Amino acid sequence: MNIVESVKMAVKTLTANKLRSTLTMLGIIIGNASVITMVGVGQGAQRYASEQFESLGPNVLFIIPGSEEAQNRTLDLPRTLTLEDAKAIASQVPTVNAVAPQLQTQQPITYRNRRSSSLVLGTTPDFLTVRDFAVERGRFFSELDVQRRTQVVALGADVARKFFGESDPIGQQIRIRNLSFQVIGVMESKGAFLGNNQDDAVYIPITTMSSRITGNTSPYGTEVTFISVNARNEASVNAAQFQITNLLRLRHKVTTEDDFTVRTQKDALEIVGNVTNALTLMLAAIAGISLFVGGIGIMNIMLVSVRERTHEIGLRKAIGASQQDILVQFMIEAIILSAIGGVIGTGIGTAGVALVAATTPLKAGVSTTAILVAVGVSGGIGLFFGVFPARQAAKLDPIVALRSA
Amino acid sequence: MQPVIRLEHVYKTYGVGDTEVRALNDVSLTVETGEYCAIMGPSGSGKSTAMNVIGCLDRPTSGRYYLDGVDVARLSDSELAHIRNRKIGFVFQQFHLLPQLTALENVMLPMTYAGVPSNERKERAVVALTRVGLANRLHNRPNQLSGGQQQRVAIARAIVNNPVLLLADEPTGALDSHTTHEVLNIFSELNASGITVVVVTHEADVARQTRRIIWFRDGEVLHDHLTPEDLTQMSMVLS
Ligand SMILES: Nc1ncnc2c1ncn2[C@@H]1O[C@H](COP(=O)(O)OP(=O)(O)O)[C@@H](O)[C@H]1O
Ligand SMILES: [Mg+2]
Repeated sequence: MNIVESVKMAVKTLTANKLRSTLTMLGIIIGNASVITMVGVGQGAQRYASEQFESLGPNVLFIIPGSEEAQNRTLDLPRTLTLEDAKAIASQVPTVNAVAPQLQTQQPITYRNRRSSSLVLGTTPDFLTVRDFAVERGRFFSELDVQRRTQVVALGADVARKFFGESDPIGQQIRIRNLSFQVIGVMESKGAFLGNNQDDAVYIPITTMSSRITGNTSPYGTEVTFISVNARNEASVNAAQFQITNLLRLRHKVTTEDDFTVRTQKDALEIVGNVTNALTLMLAAIAGISLFVGGIGIMNIMLVSVRERTHEIGLRKAIGASQQDILVQFMIEAIILSAIGGVIGTGIGTAGVALVAATTPLKAGVSTTAILVAVGVSGGIGLFFGVFPARQAAKLDPIVALRSA
Repeated sequence: MQPVIRLEHVYKTYGVGDTEVRALNDVSLTVETGEYCAIMGPSGSGKSTAMNVIGCLDRPTSGRYYLDGVDVARLSDSELAHIRNRKIGFVFQQFHLLPQLTALENVMLPMTYAGVPSNERKERAVVALTRVGLANRLHNRPNQLSGGQQQRVAIARAIVNNPVLLLADEPTGALDSHTTHEVLNIFSELNASGITVVVVTHEADVARQTRRIIWFRDGEVLHDHLTPEDLTQMSMVLS
């Protein structure tokens, strides 16, 4: 019997048992849909995070408290970075162009009877250069404001709109944690960074922040949360990393383990890549399990089917079907079920990915590899889990099978 | 011309040791081309076992079996399947039609395994069904047919690949006397057209239609070439 005949026969059998065929496919459909969706979401997260770091530009470096090991060990990092460190880097490291220390906490903000809880970010004027921010109206605070710890604030675009609507906020007074601040500027809209809305934030001099809002909590000086640095150019990033590390080791009198880490954009991208790869892999593994379970479902129902159709198999053998004919017949049924299930599942998965892409910032997308792998794997699962029942069918003794009627 | 069936000292045993059953015990039997034979005997005497061996559904434990001159013992499983498909037609007591297929599709089935092109398959199936008087029942499913009609579909299926040998194991066992008669007429016609026919039966009336009666007992051929008169005498002895 040729393949076309076998396929026709399989289709006939499968359509004669629509409910059973559908239920069998369901496992594969769900498995495939989840593989496609999970991998799409994982890769979307990866792309999103990478693009965020890439948007910082290749010259940027981050200095964060704690050694790499400490960062893996604990979330409660030592408060080792200070404003003085940032100043030292700016003045002593030649490959550095701008240094922006950041000290940030969530604080209640009020204007007349309106209130909001927003991120209050204490920094220096260099922040604009390092993070590529710009003021839309008014001005950002100056070095002088930092020196004098003035109570001035530049509003993020969302905060400005929330408090002032269309009217001009410049010159108005808002309260941050019950302290009065004069609005001197409104920032250009910048969007979210790694899920944080940078427009729902206000920017004040870092000295004002540490002296009046957070208090001075570091034993080493004026604590900062982390320091962003802009190297002179892309070629000097590695030199800057090396020089900053040496300088801070001296300043912190490090003898054994560093109490800080200097990361380049490349390092950050690598970490993001590792984390999101692990995430994607985990999601794919979970989805893969459901695909596997779908395969077991196929095997289960096919075994039942072989048992139910024992009589038919016996008759087919009696009138001239060879073992191979029977084997091929059952294999084709399994492969058709899992392939169709695979295609439907891929369709559903693609729709799911599109939904995620439309409703979240994740740049979720379906790669052709994901589709090929999912459909290939489900076809393979059909083969793998179909073989055992099909062999059982092929090996049936026709006399015994006919007597089972 | 060589005989269609030549069994030489065929044994078939089931089980081992204490539970061993000799279903066939040194059976030697020759059936020439064009014969019409009945196999009779008490229940459990090995008639079905013999038919299964003759029909290449089963292999003898020992002894030789030549079908149309071919030593069947040497053939592989797929070669046996090929022989069942091309040289042998089976008719069973229980019809064994596939319920999801129409009469036409049931009759076409052996030809799909023979690799007959699909348009020719349909033509030949129609011819076979016409031959058994079911030209007007092509598209009925088995559950829409009477027992006699179902058995005739099964006969059409058995002859559609033009076998040399038609084997029927109690083909009228599930039929009433009227339909039994119809089926026997078809067998006679088929035999007249040159097909060798072997029928297992309990019924003396059925056996009388044939031209040779073989009597089995305890897995052995007790009598061969019985006449209908012998049969009448024997059944008197038996009863
Ligand atoms: N598959 C089997 N396993 C064990 N014993 C069997 C099997 N098939 C038949 N037999 C035994 O072989 C003997 C002959 O059976 P069978 O050929 O079916 O007899 P008949 O058709 O003449 O009634 C019986 O004793 C039966 O119990
Ligand atoms: Mg029997």
